[in-house]
Amino acid sequence: MTDEQPQEPKAAARRDRQFHGEAARQAPALWRIVTGPIIWGAHFLVCYWIGAAWCAHVGPGAPLGPARWAVAGATVLALLALALAVRSIGRRRGLSVEDDDLVFRADTAEERRRFLAHVATLLCIVSLAAILFTALPAVLLETCR
Amino acid sequence: MTPTDETRAAAPAHPDCQDDPALRAAQEARLREVWAAPPGWRYWTAVNNTEVGRWYTASAIFFMLFAGALALIVRAQLAVPENDLVSPEFYNQAFTLHGTAMMFLFAVPIFEAVAILILPSLLGARDLPFPRLSAFGFWCYLIGGIFVCGSIFFDAAPDAGWFMYPPLATVQGGIGADIWLLGLSFIEVASIAAAVELIVGVLKCRPPGMRMNLTPLYAWYVLIVGAMILFAFPPLIAGDILFELERMFDWPFFDPERGGDPLLWQHLFWIFGHPEVYIIFLPSIALLAMMIPTFAGRPIAGYSWIVLSAMGTGFISFGLWAHHMFTTGLPSISLGFFSAASEAVAIPTGIQIFVFIATLMLGTVKRSVPMLWSMGALAIFVMGGLTGVMVAVAPFDFQAHDSYFVVAHLHFTLFGGMLFPLVAGIHYYHPLITGKMLSRRLGIWSFWLCFLGFVVCFLPMHLTGLRGMPRRVWTYPDDLGWNTLNLVSSVGAFVFALGFLVFIWDLARPKREAERAPRNPWKAGALEWLQEARPESWGVRSIPQVSSRYPLWDDPEFVKNYDEGRFYLPDAEEGRREGLVTSVLDAEPEQVLRIAGPSVLPLLSAIALGGVFIFVTFHWWWLTGISAAAALAAILVWVWTGTAEHPEKETKPIGLGREAPLYVSGPKSTGWWAMFITMLGDLTAFLGLIFGLFFFLTVHERFPPPGLPVPGFEWPAAALGLTVVSWLATWGGRRANAAGHVGAFRALLALALVAGIAAAAALGAGPWLAGMDPTVHSWPAIVWTLVAWSAAHAAVGAIMQVFCLVASFAGRLTPRCDADIRNTEVFIHFHAFAAILTAVALAAFPEAAELKP
Repeated sequence: MTDEQPQEPKAAARRDRQFHGEAARQAPALWRIVTGPIIWGAHFLVCYWIGAAWCAHVGPGAPLGPARWAVAGATVLALLALALAVRSIGRRRGLSVEDDDLVFRADTAEERRRFLAHVATLLCIVSLAAILFTALPAVLLETCR
Repeated sequence: MTPTDETRAAAPAHPDCQDDPALRAAQEARLREVWAAPPGWRYWTAVNNTEVGRWYTASAIFFMLFAGALALIVRAQLAVPENDLVSPEFYNQAFTLHGTAMMFLFAVPIFEAVAILILPSLLGARDLPFPRLSAFGFWCYLIGGIFVCGSIFFDAAPDAGWFMYPPLATVQGGIGADIWLLGLSFIEVASIAAAVELIVGVLKCRPPGMRMNLTPLYAWYVLIVGAMILFAFPPLIAGDILFELERMFDWPFFDPERGGDPLLWQHLFWIFGHPEVYIIFLPSIALLAMMIPTFAGRPIAGYSWIVLSAMGTGFISFGLWAHHMFTTGLPSISLGFFSAASEAVAIPTGIQIFVFIATLMLGTVKRSVPMLWSMGALAIFVMGGLTGVMVAVAPFDFQAHDSYFVVAHLHFTLFGGMLFPLVAGIHYYHPLITGKMLSRRLGIWSFWLCFLGFVVCFLPMHLTGLRGMPRRVWTYPDDLGWNTLNLVSSVGAFVFALGFLVFIWDLARPKREAERAPRNPWKAGALEWLQEARPESWGVRSIPQVSSRYPLWDDPEFVKNYDEGRFYLPDAEEGRREGLVTSVLDAEPEQVLRIAGPSVLPLLSAIALGGVFIFVTFHWWWLTGISAAAALAAILVWVWTGTAEHPEKETKPIGLGREAPLYVSGPKSTGWWAMFITMLGDLTAFLGLIFGLFFFLTVHERFPPPGLPVPGFEWPAAALGLTVVSWLATWGGRRANAAGHVGAFRALLALALVAGIAAAAALGAGPWLAGMDPTVHSWPAIVWTLVAWSAAHAAVGAIMQVFCLVASFAGRLTPRCDADIRNTEVFIHFHAFAAILTAVALAAFPEAAELKP
């Protein structure tokens, strides 16, 4: 809607119905925009479990040894999953790292698509940073102390 | 997309009927009558969000003042060294209750209170979908809060610190810890009820056209925080169950001598406790997201950035819990993971702050009292966030842990992240709720007193902590260099209290008619400000068609059209309270929801349920049983008489040429969503118990320990089989009913009922016949807990199945109107999942461990 168009209720309602008729129907899987953080959460829990189980097993002070490799493996898997998630977002909604909010005025299907794409993409970036953060202790530490 | 000339011609610019002032007046009279609060003593049976929200807010502020008074006692005691103003016993109760009440009775409930109060306005809705549930939650909260707080007048308050660490809290006598556990469990019921209500409200009660990308930011935050409550509170409920079982029946979950571990409590508590910090922080910062565009006079810069940062914060906040446990001897690799997540959460948190600053820079800022409080909030919160990044670094935390540095840090985050934005929000939304403005002069006075008092009180505490003063000490010797710092802090605390009392006075004082606010006093653009200058109980005159985030700025005719009732549902011609239910993503109208009116049932249910928790505290088992039966009866009457009623017609025109059905069931209905969301929380509590099992598995060399009996394989396997039968029968029954085979439906449901009860019995038979004694060791204790959880759910499932059977025979449940069985089916899905997991855990793990040499 641009500024000149009438905003009278009946026309607005009609436009709304046209939106539902015309806009590409996206699966109502709203939760998919949080795929990135879900991958982070899974990676975090797996890493925590690897560390806790290994150190409970070998006792304090013992070297981390295979636990470090396990964390590295989990991290590679998580990054792979994140890459797949980004690719899927790109295919389904298109990637968007900018939201054009500074000129926001339109209620269009394109605007909604960009919103969902932008949130999903940036959440993947935040998750990437958080996953790399999580992997760091396994790089820096050598023992269970 | 431009409407063509043809469509414009087909739709007359203004429907004739709404042009008639007499008709509009009649509509308004009908709406006013339908939505009016009941008179006399029946006022307390009101369920409308405006009434319940006000009671809720007032109660939360009352508990806050109570907890604040306790804090002043603490500060008075600490003002000088070697002080004995209060006894150590009382001091312990004072600081425990201060923390407990501030967290559980103020910080979280005020979110629910404010959200219930303003969310419908923000969404252009008349009320939330389950007003009686809101009322029930409020009464639970009030009863539980009075029970917990009142204990201090009988010298019986909890005194082990607000996080109740065992073994101190498990071995101490008295009923203080029981009051804490049971009182707060009861209040958590209220929190989860509110979370369900608010999530469904945001997902299903937005006005037509308010797509997800047009939803007010406050609603986004409410959605995210509601989801966080669902995953954060249940682990604490699981922990409360274990804790109370240990205190009441001596089941040794936290007793190392019998295979327990006190750290399990710390884990469960902080899996709740750290997300809780963000549950408190996000809704308050959400108020800033509504205020800042108004005072900057422009749309928020970076709407989707805020959404993503709130989501990112919500997620990552679940990976921080062990940073409260840095000094418990966890392996450093574990500390490293939690330290990393604690640093990472600063990224999304910071994004929100930068968006606010950017919006202010791009706009033209108007000076106002809410802005003053907002700016104070940002300053304090950034400071608290920075010390947070410091204590997230494990080696620094080793030094600062349990010292006044931590006290200073947490108060900076809570005041800056919660209290100051909240006061800003109250100033901002006061005219929306009451129609009157708060005083600008008093607002400025109270802000500066509060701000300076706060800084004088808490800034020196960083230093007090670094000089080694531990938190929670009753007093301290003269020669440690803490004297001046403590005195300054105490003076600051009283200055803050004075400032806050100015604010409370401003809030409570009678207002003159001259202070009546004009309509939209802040010249805001958001939807809620279309409200009439004199707030009406109907919520909105007509439910608007929305096509912009700031309709009041974007559409000069919007308010006029609204006033003339030219949008949806401008009338209450059937004399019923009605609201629109819309689709999740795009807010397409899906149903006209008949919203429940005043009823005494929520109050009665809350009193009866409160009785259960209170009588258990004193081990009055008979009264507990009677109370539980009364609660069940009240809730069944409530559900039978007040939900899923059969409409007198299939559909109803809602205006603007649209039509919507009056009865829906399944995923389109609010009831289905509420059940689904409740069961998500329930499942999380179950996973908390399973976490306990795996925790024991991890920390023990051999678990279950050799020599202790196990449930064996046969009985859990039988339970698994029967659960599957019950599950499939319920599912098949629902389908048969929908296909019109009512006889088959009843037969399948009866089968499901019998199989479900038999499954629970089989699950219990294993440990029973093996002679497992839950007081011997944590292994039998956790097994019995899982069995009891499953049995309790089987019992609830059976009640629901019987309800559906009776409803089917009574004609309440028909192939067309099948909401009861649709909702029961959701419960059974979740219950079956948990029961199958329990059966597998009992059957598989012990056998494998037993076979080991």
